[in-house]
Amino acid sequence: MQAVLEDFLKAVRSHDITVSSAESIEAGHTFELIGFENREILKYALSATLAKNLEERESFSKCFDGFFSFESFKERTEHAEEEKQIAQELAEYQGDSELVKMMLAKDQVALSNKMKQAAREVGITDIWFFTQKGIYSQKIMKEMGSAQIGEEIAALSGGTCPTAAAQANQLRQVRKALQGEVQNFVEQQLAIYGANTNKRLREEFLTNARLSNVERRDFHRMHEIVRKMAKRLSDTYSKKRKQTQRGQLDFRKTMRKNVAYDGVPFETFWRTKNVDKPKIVAICDVSGSVSDYSRFLLLFLYSLKDVLSRIDSFAFSGSLVEVNTIFDDYAVEQAIEVALKEGGGSSTDYGQTFMDLKRDRLENANNLLNIDNKTSVIILGDARNNYGDPRTDILKLVFQRAKRVIWLNPEPVISWNTGDSEMDKYRPYCHLVSECSTIKQLNNMIDGLLKVSFG
Amino acid sequence: MKNMYDHRFQSVEEIQQEFEKGGYICSKEIATCLYIAFNLQKPMMVEGPAGVGKTEMAKTTAEILGVPLVRLQCYEGLDESKALYEWKYGKQLLYTQLLKEKLNDFMGDAETMEESMAVLHSKEDLFFSEDFLEPRPLFRALKEKAGCVLLIDEVDKSDHEFEAFLLEILSEFQVSIPEIGTLSTDIKPFVFLTSNNNREMSDALKRRCLHLNVPYPDPDLERRILNSRVPELRGNLQQNLVDFIHKIREMDLKKSPSISETIDWARVLVLLHAEELDKEFVQTTLNTVLKFEDDIEAVNEQLDGLLESVHSAA
Repeated sequence: MQAVLEDFLKAVRSHDITVSSAESIEAGHTFELIGFENREILKYALSATLAKNLEERESFSKCFDGFFSFESFKERTEHAEEEKQIAQELAEYQGDSELVKMMLAKDQVALSNKMKQAAREVGITDIWFFTQKGIYSQKIMKEMGSAQIGEEIAALSGGTCPTAAAQANQLRQVRKALQGEVQNFVEQQLAIYGANTNKRLREEFLTNARLSNVERRDFHRMHEIVRKMAKRLSDTYSKKRKQTQRGQLDFRKTMRKNVAYDGVPFETFWRTKNVDKPKIVAICDVSGSVSDYSRFLLLFLYSLKDVLSRIDSFAFSGSLVEVNTIFDDYAVEQAIEVALKEGGGSSTDYGQTFMDLKRDRLENANNLLNIDNKTSVIILGDARNNYGDPRTDILKLVFQRAKRVIWLNPEPVISWNTGDSEMDKYRPYCHLVSECSTIKQLNNMIDGLLKVSFG
Repeated sequence: MKNMYDHRFQSVEEIQQEFEKGGYICSKEIATCLYIAFNLQKPMMVEGPAGVGKTEMAKTTAEILGVPLVRLQCYEGLDESKALYEWKYGKQLLYTQLLKEKLNDFMGDAETMEESMAVLHSKEDLFFSEDFLEPRPLFRALKEKAGCVLLIDEVDKSDHEFEAFLLEILSEFQVSIPEIGTLSTDIKPFVFLTSNNNREMSDALKRRCLHLNVPYPDPDLERRILNSRVPELRGNLQQNLVDFIHKIREMDLKKSPSISETIDWARVLVLLHAEELDKEFVQTTLNTVLKFEDDIEAVNEQLDGLLESVHSAA
């Protein structure tokens, strides 16, 4: 039972559920308490001990079903009777080795047990990649004693006796069937123990890959990664915080509370200050030159919407387009398509964009939306302005008014200021200019931004 | 001494039966979780939307075990002095005022500073004894001799600091009060923590708990719950009601109706002697089920279709 539990925990871990040693012990107690009799109850019980949220519960359920359901050596039972007859007709050859006896007797349970035992001996639980399937199948076959079958076949087919030859043939067939079973079994084990290795590798790759190299077909996966990151950021920062101003007594509150104690200030209250969530204006370039990136940048902005309730998103190429409502109204993939369509299409014009920004967010009649000293402005773009007027004067205005201006350029630093890139002209009016070409860099950037805002 | 763990649940089925007797219909999953939580004496974290009976579960458990229920409602800003204990400053102050007169008798023959200090030292603990202690829920839970059910409600509303403090209590079931000493209990309380998933709890806290997610019940379970809670409502009408609620839950609403709303609505039906679920009746009483104006409007728009499908299903 111990062994089964160990294997099971290994399988659970490979399904992206962290199981600490304390939890393993807990799972052991649960096993003892519940036993194997009722699978449904065991599943609920272990799920309660091991899975800690909804996502984990789902993967746990999958893992549990996979682990406790291998049904090897069963499909063939329909033909078993038939085969038994043939076997009986073919003289009563019982075989020498234990394995051959089992195979000929069609003792499914014993064979299945022997296979599992062999699998344990060769350490099947360490299987990770599909490329290992062949080697593990071979190892298991060997462990089960395939060599002996070979010997027996050789011995039988050596002579000229026709019965012996037929028996050898039969043995070959049975061996083939056994091989099939073992391969099948290994496949199942791979599904259980290697379930997420590939996914994990892929995710790691995508997190660090340059956004321009990420292919469209990975979009779905990318969304998953970005969502996870945004979720983590949200968990860390979503709570409204209060900061105590040390040394400043909230005199009124203290007096009010201490009236009961004859005005003696037993309980003191200090002035607090609500730390606001950061107000962010994000402007994302969606023109042709950065189209590879913009899809993902928009994806990130979309995911951030949940973290920062006050993110104000824009897309632009020729002119500025507000995308807040698009993000609110559509599901993610659609929203990005619509934003790309609305914002993109024309050639990049930073000058016009900044003029629009001035109109919408510097001289807006609705004061609340205007950029003020609490706003952080993030510009995502390559600063390639098609040799137009960069209108740095407006960026300067923004720079003077906003808390921070951050420019994230998806191009590598080396190609800044080449051709029509105006990075150097904009640089003086940004608090921070940084290259940002992978999702990881983007995440670190936003993390830093939030940290500063709360710190 | 009576111990609540003397009450042994032999099997998951037994829990289901006992809870049903107590008026709480639980699914196999809930019963299993209760079974291991009780037998392993582990805290149980119950998650799920509001109104699916998380709090009720704790209440029923306390009833069945015959122990008191100690409830701690969490909120932002909850701290140790509200959750564990507090000194009764007022009483202390009052007593010192009253005893001022006696002070001379006390000090009596103490001449020097040292002597008076020594006299004071010997009396000091009087003011920091349990007589002057205001026990709060966690303290009370630890003091229950026969054990108790401790319900820490809406733990996700509390602050991070309080969560850290809970960790200590939940693993050791003891607290140290500097002036008195360590208070511990031999019989661990049966702890329920409920959460609406307002925020993700820390891993450390999660690790110490068993996890149970209580979703909206399936129609069958919901009917059984109605049978137990509103037995006057029977047959077709009950069926229609449950079907209707399930249809609403499929819609995209701000707050889907949960079991408590279903029960409320069933009671309204009984109270108004409704014969069937007709349009007019639904329109006038929909506010018992839905709590947002937008939701009510959304359902009203589709009311004809909803009712039709409900009646044709029956």
